[in-house]
This record gives sequence, C-alpha cells and structure tokens, in this order.
Amino acid sequence: MNIKEKIKDLVSEWDTEGLIEYCKTILTNKEATASELLKIIGEIMKFIGDQFEEEEIFLPELIGSAETVKGAIDNVLDPAIRAAGEKKESQGKVVIGTVESDVHSIGKDLVGSFLFSNGFEVYNLGVEVTADQFISKAEEVGADVIGLSSLLTMSMDFQKEVIEELKKRGLRDKYKVIVGGAPTSEDWADQIGADAHADDAIEAVDKIKKILADK
Amino acid sequence: MKLEKLAVFSKDEVEAIHSATISLLTEVGIKIDSNEVKQLLKDNGAIIDDNTDFVKFSESLIKEKLKTVPSNFKLYGPDGSFSFEVNTETSQFATIGTPVKIYDKNSKKGVRKTVLDDTIQQIRIVDRLENLVCSHIDVWPNDISYITIHSECIYQWVKNTKKPYGLGCLGRLASQDMMNMASIIVGGDEELIKRPRLIGFMNPTSPLHLPQIMTNGFSVFAKYKQPTIIAPEALAGASAPVTLAGLLTQTNAEIIGSVVVSQIFNPGAPIFFGTVSHITDMRTGNSAMGSIEMGLITAGIAQLARYYNIPSRGPGAGTDSKLLDLQNGYERLQTLMLAAQAGINYITCAGTYEATLVESLELLVIDDDLIGMIKRMMEGIIVNEDTIGLDVIKKVSTSETKGVNYLAEAHTRNHMKSELYMPKLADRARRSTWYKKGAKNIITRAREKVEEILNSPPIIKLDPEIDQRLKDYMNMVKGRTFDDYKKAEGLMTDSITLPDGIEIKNKD
Repeated sequence: MNIKEKIKDLVSEWDTEGLIEYCKTILTNKEATASELLKIIGEIMKFIGDQFEEEEIFLPELIGSAETVKGAIDNVLDPAIRAAGEKKESQGKVVIGTVESDVHSIGKDLVGSFLFSNGFEVYNLGVEVTADQFISKAEEVGADVIGLSSLLTMSMDFQKEVIEELKKRGLRDKYKVIVGGAPTSEDWADQIGADAHADDAIEAVDKIKKILADK
Repeated sequence: MKLEKLAVFSKDEVEAIHSATISLLTEVGIKIDSNEVKQLLKDNGAIIDDNTDFVKFSESLIKEKLKTVPSNFKLYGPDGSFSFEVNTETSQFATIGTPVKIYDKNSKKGVRKTVLDDTIQQIRIVDRLENLVCSHIDVWPNDISYITIHSECIYQWVKNTKKPYGLGCLGRLASQDMMNMASIIVGGDEELIKRPRLIGFMNPTSPLHLPQIMTNGFSVFAKYKQPTIIAPEALAGASAPVTLAGLLTQTNAEIIGSVVVSQIFNPGAPIFFGTVSHITDMRTGNSAMGSIEMGLITAGIAQLARYYNIPSRGPGAGTDSKLLDLQNGYERLQTLMLAAQAGINYITCAGTYEATLVESLELLVIDDDLIGMIKRMMEGIIVNEDTIGLDVIKKVSTSETKGVNYLAEAHTRNHMKSELYMPKLADRARRSTWYKKGAKNIITRAREKVEEILNSPPIIKLDPEIDQRLKDYMNMVKGRTFDDYKKAEGLMTDSITLPDGIEIKNKD
C-alpha cells in the first residue's frame, strides 16, 4: 500500500492517533518530507470534498475526516515544516468567529472545516468574540480575511461594530471581511461595508477565494 | 368523539426520557453564564461548578419547582377586550419567526428586506384573522435602529391591534422597557401582572446552555409574570444527537432546567414548554424546518409537556421552500397537522417560510384558513342520536317525491355550519365559474384579502395622554447608546441605572 492509500484509509476511519503515528514514522524514515505529506493530504481532502459535493458522502464524514487531518497537521506536519524552516503553502489565512452576544458556533465551524479542507489556514476564535479579539488575532497571524458569523437578528449589529473598529484603527483596507449567518444577506453586507456575504459554507469558500483573487 | 391525540411515545418511553433527563440535570447540569442566576440557584440548593459554569440540580429541587408552574393562564390584548386561555388541553395558533425578508412579487428576487411598515401590516392582519390569537415581533424592522426596535414595536402593537404581543427576552434593559411601556398602556404594573399582555421567548442554546442576555431578560418577564416560551432550537446531528430520542432528552433537560430557573425567579411565573427543534440536513449542514422529523420532535414535546402538566408550544407551518410553491404548501401543512394532532397548546410560525426567515402576508391569511380546517379536524366526528340522524335518513330515503335529497332538510340546515368547515380561500368553483371570476390562484386571492384588511380603517383609538407618555419613553430609549445596552447586560465594565431605578453592577 502506498503512502497516499494508507493515509486515505486512516482518514476515512477518522483514526487521528493512527495518522499522527504514521506521519511520524514516514518522517523518521525519511520516506517523504512534511511538505510532501501535506500535499498528499491536500489531494485527499480535495477528493473527499468532491465526494461530498456529489452527495456520495455526508457532512459528518467530511467534518470527521477534516478533524483527523487537522490532528496530524497541528501535531506533526506544521511543527516539522517550521523546524525545517520551510514556508507552508496555503490558500490564505482566515480568522473566523461568532460575534459578541451570540453563542452559536455550528455554522461558523462548518465554514472553518470547509476552508481547512480547501487548503486555508483557519483561526477559529469560537463564540462571543469581541471586535478587539478579531482584530488582535488577525494582526497577530497576518490574516488575509476576517469572517464574522451571527445567527441572531439581535447580534447582527456586532458584525458592523467589527468593521467600524477596523476603520477606527486604520486597518480596514488591510483585511477582507466576509459575513454570514441566517439573518444576514448581500444587502446587509453592503449596508455595513463588508466585502462579501455567504449563505453557506460551500459559498463561503468560493467567495473567499474570489475576494482574495480580487485583492 | 374528538380526535385522539397522536402519541409518539408509550408510557414507559416517556418515563425513560424523563429518567434520562433527571440523570442529565443531576450529573451534568446546565451551563449558566450569569453569576446572579448561579447565586440564586445556589441559594436554592443547586450545586455550582465554578470551573465550568455548569449548575447541577437535585431531583428534589426539580420536583419542588415543577409544582409551582401554572397549567393554565390567560393572555390579554392591550385594552383587555380580547383574551384567550392557554391550557394543557386546547390548541391556540399564532405567529413567531425571524423574517428579515418579505414576499414581494414585484421585487426582482421575489423577496425584499422587511421594514417597519411590514411589521405594522403583519400586526394589523393578525388582528383581523379569526384563527390567530397573537402576533410576535417576528417581522424584523430593518430600517429601525437595533437599540430602539423593542420600543418601536410595542408602540406599533398598541396602535394596531387588540390582541396580545410577543417579544424576545432580549436582555434586562430592553425587557424592562417592554414592561414599563406595557404598564403605561394598561394603567400600571399591578394590572399588567394580573392580566398579562406580553409573551416572552427565551431560547436556551443547545446543548445545555443558558446565555446571559437571555436569562437577564427572562428574569424580568418572570418578575412581571408575563408568560414566557422556553424553546430550544436544537438541530439533530449538529447541536443535539441525531437520534430524535436523544434530542428530546437533551432539550427536555434544557426546558426543565429553565423551568426551575423561572420558578426561582418568581414562583408561579407562567411558562410554555416549548420547542423549535428540528434537524440538520446532512448534505448541506442547513437546518430543515419543513422536515417530517420536525413534526415528530414537536409531537414528542407535546407528550412530554403533558407529562409535566405544562402548556406546550411548538412550530407549525414550517417549510424550507424559497417559493410559494407546492413544497411550501405540503411542508407547512404537514408540520401544522402534526403539531395540532399531537396536542401542542400554542402552535406558531403562521405566515413564514424559508425556515421562518421570510414572511408572506399572503401565507398569513392562507394559514388562517388552514388552521380553520385543522380546528375542524380536531373536533372529530360527533356521534349522538341527532348526528346519526336516523329519522332524516328514513324520511329522505323513503320519500315518495322523486329526486328528494338532503339539501332542503332542516337537519342539514341545523348542522351544516358545525359539521362542515367552509374554507375562505380554497377554490371549489366549477372551472367555468372560476374562469369568469378571473382564474385566480390562491396567492392572488390571498393578496386580495390582505389588501381588503389593510385598506380598512384602523380601529384602535389610543388615549392622547398615553400616546404622549409612550412617545416620551421612546425618546428616552432613543437617547441611549449601544454601549449602554452592553453595560446593562454585564457585557462591559461600568454600571448603568435601569429604567425602574435598579442599578446594574459591573461585570465581575
């Protein structure tokens, strides 16, 4: 069984521990570099993403696979790449979170998983995230995009507050801002001066790719 | 007899869910953000885990607090002339949703953003519909500043309807404003408490979490004994187990935990044992409100609510369709029927579609008609000597006159109105007549009904002095900043004084 097939099996079984051990072994035996493993994993995630779009597999299978892969990347591959002084290939860095006064996390987590599966570096700040926390994290990691989620009509205004705070700090042009969540819309994004709006996780990936291409 | 209530659980299964719920509440508990609420619960014997914010309830505490929950209560419109009773036997029907858009056939996309005018129109239409007893702040006025929406809506409520009104427990400051304005309208707190005018809704966040803003507002609604809907919106497979029994156990714990909190706030505070839970579509991750499983979950909650002898609230007329099409029609009827057949006591969401994110005034009047039909269904078939009608059968069948039928019989005339529901909008004409009348579809006919209501003169006359006091109050609300709200809810440091003089302390 070649490396790709073995990794594919471990991913489809959600065997995070197994994948971590296998990646360590490969690196120790110098059968492949961390960058090469990352590329293989990227191909596998692309394949799984395609299967999902074709409705051959469903959401839990996609998310479970992404979590497994994330375990190996965070614990083995990222540290190895850093140690080797290599630069990690990435589609872009995205800071996401649910805005202040809102504790709904699922939609935003889906967006995170989809972005991750599509090769983005994702910094998921969780729920009830303040404007300052979004901006500080974006500054810290050198993000390209800030993604703001809100599920409630009563928390939507906090999306606007993050954009206002970016303006206040003279950082508005440094980041692209995308908003989402059930009560939000294209109109809302225009109204508050966001760069994009997405209706669901799949659209979020497309829109983020688009706004980064336009950057 | 009347229609028997649909059961989704056997007696043993209800006990199994109750017992699992008690295990959850005693072993895991509910995560509560508010230190104030945690302290109150601690004073009442609950166990607080300071590291996790989870509060565990003993079985005896749960039992004791369940005893003070009313099994029936009445709600009144602003001037008290309209009222309805909520109990554990009958079904009332109302709106509720979170529409931020409204159907508009002239708009390019078929929908447009909702504004205050739409909010007002929805209140006016519900006022005139026979089968809907209450409107809620569901049509979101996008043109109104977030910080004044509650006060603007209360004002429009009193100006446009004789029916009660519902609002979210959107924090203690806004909730206190709602009470203060309602108090101005009805002539004092005492009257407001005695004859409640407002319905609150408090949504626990699944799994097992009561957010601070919600409990802040909930305490105000409980203090004024305004009936409050506790309604988790758990999604099977995402925020709750994918198994419906698992979802119902988890949400039952969320509801019971909230009920305990409500009775500690104020013993006897009326509540609705509620649900808006449904499922996650495993292909898209979207919630599916038109799913048949939502109907089953709603039926499960109806049965659990009966077990605890608390009035239930559940959604009907739920659909995920983006159009006024067949999917919209069959999904809304299927969820409405299941809620009614299961015996939900307060069935909501009339007038909405696209998982309640969009409003249609046309659907509002269509739902009124569907509800009329469902109410007829609930009556079942009445069997007695008169309804069996042996005499009239003998008379007509043996008549010597040729062609005699039942149409001109007194028996028919006496019973037709109670036996047969006459739909207001469904078309039953012959094709030629239907053509002559313009060959209209149901949406067009519904629109005509909407126009007829909106073109009729307003019936409410508000006392100029009350009007002025409400306007003054609204001006006071307008003067606040966004930060004032955040301070009031403990989201920022600093303190603020509430409208009734209660000072809110700094965030710890």
